[in-house]
Amino acid sequence: MNTPISLDRRQFLALSLAFAATPAQAASREALARDILVTWHRLVLELIRHTATYSPPVASRAFAYLGITAHEALAAANPALISLAGQVTDLAHAPTPAGLTDPATVLHHALSAATAVLFGNTGPTGQRAHAALTDQLGARVADGLEAALHGRSVAHGAAVAAHILAWAANDGGAQIENMGFPRSYSAGARPQDWVPTSLIRQQQAPLLPDWGGNRPFAMPTATACGIAPPPDYDETPGSAFHAAALEVVDISRNLTDEHKLIARFWSDDPMLSPTPPGHWICILLDIADRDALPVEVIAGALARLGVAQADAFIACWATKFEVNLLRPVTYIRRVIDPVWEPLLITPPFPEYPSGHSTQSGAAATVLTAIFGDGFAFDDATHVDDDLPVRRFASFWDAAEEAAMSRLYGGIHFRFGNAAGLAQGQCVGAHAAALRTIA
Amino acid sequence: MIRALVFLAMAGPLAAEPVVPVFADETASSGIDTIYEGDWEYMVGGGVASFDCSGDRFPDLFVSGGAGPSALYINRSAQGGQLVFEKTDELTLDAAIGAYPLDIDSDGVMDLVVLRLGENRLYRGLGDCRFEDATTAWGFDGGDAWSTAFAAIWERGADWPTLAIGNYLDRYETAFPWGSCTDNWLHRPQRGPKNAAMGFAPPLPLTPSFCALSLLFTDWNRSGHPSLRVSNDREYYKGGQEQLWHLEPGQPPRLYTEGEGWNRLRIWGMGIASADINRDGFPDYYLTSMADNKLQVLTNPADGVPVFSDIAFRLGLTAHRPYIGDDLNPSTAWHPQFADVNNDGLLDLFVAKGNVARMPDFAAMDPNNLLLQRADGTFVEAGDRAGVGSFGIARGAQLVDFNLDGRLDLVVVNRWTTAEIWRSAGDLDGNWLQLRLHQPGTNRDAIGAVIEIRRSEATERHEITSGGGHVSGSSGWLHFGLGNAEQAELRVIWPEGKAGDWQALDAGTFQILRPDQPPVLWQPD
Repeated sequence: MNTPISLDRRQFLALSLAFAATPAQAASREALARDILVTWHRLVLELIRHTATYSPPVASRAFAYLGITAHEALAAANPALISLAGQVTDLAHAPTPAGLTDPATVLHHALSAATAVLFGNTGPTGQRAHAALTDQLGARVADGLEAALHGRSVAHGAAVAAHILAWAANDGGAQIENMGFPRSYSAGARPQDWVPTSLIRQQQAPLLPDWGGNRPFAMPTATACGIAPPPDYDETPGSAFHAAALEVVDISRNLTDEHKLIARFWSDDPMLSPTPPGHWICILLDIADRDALPVEVIAGALARLGVAQADAFIACWATKFEVNLLRPVTYIRRVIDPVWEPLLITPPFPEYPSGHSTQSGAAATVLTAIFGDGFAFDDATHVDDDLPVRRFASFWDAAEEAAMSRLYGGIHFRFGNAAGLAQGQCVGAHAAALRTIA
Repeated sequence: MIRALVFLAMAGPLAAEPVVPVFADETASSGIDTIYEGDWEYMVGGGVASFDCSGDRFPDLFVSGGAGPSALYINRSAQGGQLVFEKTDELTLDAAIGAYPLDIDSDGVMDLVVLRLGENRLYRGLGDCRFEDATTAWGFDGGDAWSTAFAAIWERGADWPTLAIGNYLDRYETAFPWGSCTDNWLHRPQRGPKNAAMGFAPPLPLTPSFCALSLLFTDWNRSGHPSLRVSNDREYYKGGQEQLWHLEPGQPPRLYTEGEGWNRLRIWGMGIASADINRDGFPDYYLTSMADNKLQVLTNPADGVPVFSDIAFRLGLTAHRPYIGDDLNPSTAWHPQFADVNNDGLLDLFVAKGNVARMPDFAAMDPNNLLLQRADGTFVEAGDRAGVGSFGIARGAQLVDFNLDGRLDLVVVNRWTTAEIWRSAGDLDGNWLQLRLHQPGTNRDAIGAVIEIRRSEATERHEITSGGGHVSGSSGWLHFGLGNAEQAELRVIWPEGKAGDWQALDAGTFQILRPDQPPVLWQPD
């Protein structure tokens, strides 16, 4: 079973001692490796926020590849770890290092190289930040390291990154144009079909309609986690669909401050936050810091969480564009209240199921598998944006609140949230089954 | 409903499609050769200031050079002739990001505020296009920041202006610069020790600040007390949004809150243009950004609540991507400016466009927009047909009548290439009027005044402001297109609130207006 308890810190120290003069030095290198891994991911959370291409589905893809890069960089030189090659679709084994390597150096150069490519389209500030971090952390990992060992580690890190990037290049999600919005789009003709809800020109077409065709990571196909269809479209008062819409209206008219806070806390808007998948990465990184988790645990968890969320967006988007359901604001203005306004800005793509719910369900499933049920944590994702820390008794508590936030926000029906959580649980189970530690 | 009726009233006598002005690119022969240079620290900025420093009432130019030298150019154009400028040795500054003209000491000679990477400076005009650095003499703390926005106002009863400076992020942050926006400053006037000369008090920090790229003092609700509108770049702030500050004399500035109706808006705010586009008597605000741009109008002007609706989509003003060329990635918009470029009596909109640097998610070939207003209030793109759809990486700009022929010309500052200047050279059927406001005593150019001009059934209001745009501003002739009208019916509401009489002024003239005095006709030599 993959749990922190099964992690053998002595194995890591033994490996580190192979090139470190003292146990203290080995422990220091381990701490450095952890710092390298977390710091690069902290930068990636910023790049996600500040690179226009990075809508939530695209962000989830980047996190998956970065997590896998980190894990494979460590696994190739550590027999205590199990490669994801053969476990995730089409991934071959990473190159074997030419000798002993330093995990911190390997991680740094692998993550620097992978980030440079995955965020090649970030702006000048992101490029400058990447260069600065490469220099700063590069100097730290090189400090005191024997030259041959350093060189071998640099080469191995670069080789692993190249290996993962080559694999990533043909998954269907590598090229994003116009921030993910098609140049043209013809809306469906059925009354239940999604129509644009935004007054932004670019968003008159839905975001990434083909994302469901991307290569999945751990689930066998994009449709492996099917869900029941939504209620039949019906404008008749008393019908299930009408009742669901009426609930959205009723809730919107009786929002408490707590409801509004929850809606805003989980909104995780692209380009204004680390996005929903980044939110769960933040949760994991904070736990890693709080509990001083070993670097292999963090890398394995990042890989599995990344895979869960990336697969969740693939599954969710496949369903969204198959069902192509209109948003509450469209139905409500058409049938119930022509001037109704939701609390949140309605995202520019179909409703069913809720993407937040799917990816939160997947995240909760895999994090529960790693850390256990009833694992309490503080969520400080948005403290820099002046939103308070929220405490959760378990990952599922958080996932369910994330789902409800979309109903409070007036942008999803309750049935879309429930279906999303169910789909996410199924998707997350595939990622939870991945083995990273022997 | 009222707005719809106004547009209907405007639609009657005018043609369905606006006349497209024809601009001649006279960059090569103009004598202007300044390039806005520099690397990351100059990715924003690139301002131009237009004002008369020579005393002939022809607009002269200051062009920012970024990491290269800035330059002051004297306008040697003849009336109606080609645009010719003489480069001077004055104000060859380094690290200049933008500039605004302002007669700070009200001596009748225009001064210049220069925003810089590092210390901002105030230059006192001495006449004949000579200047002295008055930063220290006026007690102005130029600070040490990345200054990227400016606005000025004379607060009610004040002898000297209040200056607002917008600052960008901490330029020394490297790996994690996001969230490092530095404080904007409010420089209020203060008399020196022992009743000595006027100057500026130590600046008040406008905390919180969110990386401002445009500031504008504007009386959005016609309360008589202008507020400070701030457009912020969401790329760098955390917990930020667009801002509106109360500014009441003698009181510290305070933000409008959601409780007062202010709605959170988060954009890559880069420039503010203000005009009464819908002719409801209240200023509307065009906010430039990346991809879609915004045109905000008050949702319910009568209730005095700062709730705005975005009508850019409806009016065709989103200007969200290039309209010519093969690059259809989203646009990056900087300096916006409303002006009547075809003299048909309807305000048009110019937007300077250009990639931040080499961001592949956004258009590399991003032409400037010239959006002409139709009679029904919607806008149509004409930048290419007018000849100003340049692919230069534009930043600041000004629409000004440089050769005083009644047709607005255009100067645009570009990153890494020479600034461009165009002369409006085509035939325009519409009439025009140009005004200057002069007050005795302080605030001689009447910043904060309002010109009301009657247009069919509506009255269009023009606030006289200093600030806004993208680090660029003008002081000089105020241009009004009149369409077929032979006269303009207008009045001035002076900054202290006193309304002048309605008066009819002849088209095709330059008029100088003073409180309680008849207009004075002026003609170029």
